[in-house]
Amino acid sequence: MQDFYKSNYKKMMLIPLIIAIPLLFFVFIFPGIQPGVDLTGGNVVIIRSDKPIIEADLLSVLKENFSLPELKVSTISSPTGFGAWIQYGKDPLVANVEELTAKASESIDSEKESIAFSNQALKALGKEEATFANSKIALLAAEQALAEYKEAFSKKLQETISQKLGLGANAEFQKREISPTLGKASFDSSMFITLIGVIMIIVVVFVAFRKFVPSAAIIQAMLFDVLAGLAGMAILGIPLSLTTLPALLMLIGYSVDTDIMLTSRMLKGKDGTPGQRATSSMKTGLTMTGTTLAALIAMLAVSYFYQIEVIYQISAILFFGLVGDTISTWLMNAPILLWWIEKKESKRNF
Amino acid sequence: MTNVLLKNWQFTLVAIIVLISIATIGFYGIKLGMDFKGGTLYQVELQKTVSTEEIARISTIISQRIDPSGLKDATVYPVGGQFIVVQLSETDITELEKVESRIRQQGKFEAVLDGNIVFTGDELKKVLRGDNSYGVMKQSSTSYEWSLPFVLNEKATKNFARSTFHKCNQTGFSPTGGITYECEKTIFFLDRPTSLLVTTKDTYDYDESLLTAGNKFENIPEGTLIEELIADSMLNVMVLDSNATIDLAKARTYFETTKTAVVSPSVSQSVINDLNAIGFAVTVTQAKKDSPWIWTATGAKQIISLTEGITNEDVSDISQAKEFSTLRISGQRQTFAEAKSDLEELAILLESGSLPTPVKSISKETISPSLGESFLFNVLLMGILAAIAVSGIIIIRYKMLNLAIPIILTGLSEILILMGFLALTQRPLDLAAFAGIIAAIGTGVDSEIVITDEILGKSKEAHESLIQRAKAALFIIATSAFTVIGVMGPIVLFSRNLPGLDKLYGFAVVAIVGALIGIFVTRPAFTKLVEGIVHKKEEKEGRN
Repeated sequence: MQDFYKSNYKKMMLIPLIIAIPLLFFVFIFPGIQPGVDLTGGNVVIIRSDKPIIEADLLSVLKENFSLPELKVSTISSPTGFGAWIQYGKDPLVANVEELTAKASESIDSEKESIAFSNQALKALGKEEATFANSKIALLAAEQALAEYKEAFSKKLQETISQKLGLGANAEFQKREISPTLGKASFDSSMFITLIGVIMIIVVVFVAFRKFVPSAAIIQAMLFDVLAGLAGMAILGIPLSLTTLPALLMLIGYSVDTDIMLTSRMLKGKDGTPGQRATSSMKTGLTMTGTTLAALIAMLAVSYFYQIEVIYQISAILFFGLVGDTISTWLMNAPILLWWIEKKESKRNF
Repeated sequence: MTNVLLKNWQFTLVAIIVLISIATIGFYGIKLGMDFKGGTLYQVELQKTVSTEEIARISTIISQRIDPSGLKDATVYPVGGQFIVVQLSETDITELEKVESRIRQQGKFEAVLDGNIVFTGDELKKVLRGDNSYGVMKQSSTSYEWSLPFVLNEKATKNFARSTFHKCNQTGFSPTGGITYECEKTIFFLDRPTSLLVTTKDTYDYDESLLTAGNKFENIPEGTLIEELIADSMLNVMVLDSNATIDLAKARTYFETTKTAVVSPSVSQSVINDLNAIGFAVTVTQAKKDSPWIWTATGAKQIISLTEGITNEDVSDISQAKEFSTLRISGQRQTFAEAKSDLEELAILLESGSLPTPVKSISKETISPSLGESFLFNVLLMGILAAIAVSGIIIIRYKMLNLAIPIILTGLSEILILMGFLALTQRPLDLAAFAGIIAAIGTGVDSEIVITDEILGKSKEAHESLIQRAKAALFIIATSAFTVIGVMGPIVLFSRNLPGLDKLYGFAVVAIVGALIGIFVTRPAFTKLVEGIVHKKEEKEGRN
């Protein structure tokens, strides 16, 4: 494959453009990105029992019978007995209903609006909508329904654990809600700092290559890769939290590598036609991405098999992002560079 | 021999640094983070339920107290409105005791003069740790003095100048012709209770004599008057008469303003029962050895005499008073270790601030690692499989077996050096550090492939010499490394002090160190290695 980029290379750019549309949809419209436990807070169930609890057993009981987001399980022991610590994120349904009841409470003075929110909450909980005398009664009904739902879930959780693990009558369960560890302010700060980091990358790229179009092409590839990673998060329901943010940062680093290599070869290389240089760069680039993807597959397999959720999440984000990188670098960045080089050369030949 | 080593300085450098890293790991050891090895779980119960903002503030103060330097592996988060959960990877009993006492103490620091609070610990701008006067000095063979200078904020400085103005009395003239003064005393309290104090006459008299005698190690100057201490503590004290009965009517009037009572051990059980009957929550406080009970009960820590300089005796008008914002508190202990520990603990308490709501109880449990006990094994498995996968791709692409080896070796040495860095700085190896290592290695492998291609691929059109090709490769990997530094740099610079972002900081630090090690240490060596392999290959194929 001497020259992958023959005369109709411009048509290649359509592919990433088309793919970007569903990606944008996944990220911004539906399912969207969930905020992680750091931001929303979550739940903790503390079990105290006189029998020791085995972590692996507890974990599999929970995973088989419930779908708890961001589940973390530890066992605790003290001179007075044994126990376990179960931590999980907010049930999206509960978070949704809490948002609706908050809205109903804010609009309590406008009867129609408030009652509508309360009814939406009830419907989400699987209850019938109803006509209410006034907004206060409606809100009360919604709040009560939510409390009942939480109660019922708690009870089911306790009973399942008790039964499957054979904990006996002496086991005590304590359920608490955890406040978010990261205030919105801290999260905003981390987003802001990340933004500064991205700006730094843009500066580095422009300083390295000094020409506008090639540098811009690298940046657009980076953005496409991040979009791909975010789309992966949206599709797989991976929440955005302090553990997954590093994955996106890693993605930026990895993805820019291939584009920098391509641009450097195209602009500074002296061998062959631009098309040939692009093709040989593609061989290098696919090897680079290929090795990372191969390593990621290994990590995905092991973390899936051994149920190490965090590693699984990070690997998945990187995987989606790097697949996106293959598309954005070779089907978009390369054509842009070729186009630009051709334009420059035709200008020169005048 | 040295010539060979110097000529191949890249290899020598790598070898030296890898050896240093291995030594560091052996000597300092790698701290495993909580995710890997579990630790201790504390549930801190506050005395009452507080608002979300306040409990967040209390959590921040507690996390600052547990881990002032940000190196320990600790998570602190509020649960509900009355509990705070602390998880840390520490399991050593003595260390844990220190942590517990730091959490438990409210840390309310107050300076009182003439029955008025002149400033509180929360009005401290900062503790001058870097100042020359901060530290421990030997006073004699059996006593060491610790000294803690601190700076007050503007409001407190003004208030202090105003309250201390002209608080000295001229007593006479000194031999050198100056004026001698006797000045009022400031009493520093730590966690002064807001309770009624009840003691017996015997204890009171004994305390009085102890206070007059003074106690160097308790910072009680000679000639301290018990009435002065009680006045400055702004507490009500009931002294039981020789019949040891309590004036119930008086106690009841006190109950209108304070619901708690602190009694000395000499007070009889029947009096305690009487107090309970009125509704007081009674605590019995022990005196420290050879120390007045009332000193411990009021939370007094030090009595400092003002000096004429501070009270601006030479200035006639308060508006011209000099303001002193830097003050000093000190103490004496019998051993260096005790003095240092006192200094450290007080500095931490002052820096973190006082807890707005005191702690009611702390429960402690051991917690298992959240990533599972076999996590390290899983990581090893992942590493081996990943290495095999990467080697597979390399072999398919280059069809040369011996190109895969340098890449694996480089990766391994980078991991070792990064772990050495973790051991040296005593950063815990946790999930964040682990992610940072992955980030560094991934970029590393990418760069190495670029180098290989530049050197190898261009050999077909030998327009450029080996050196030129290496330079081209260097440009690419340097730019890549700078992008890593660019993205992680701001995180390292700014997120250190933001609550909860220390994991992000840990990740960014490891990623940057990895990038730097790559540029300066491992990739030059790799380049040389590949040059060598290609050179041999080209020779074999009859080119050069």
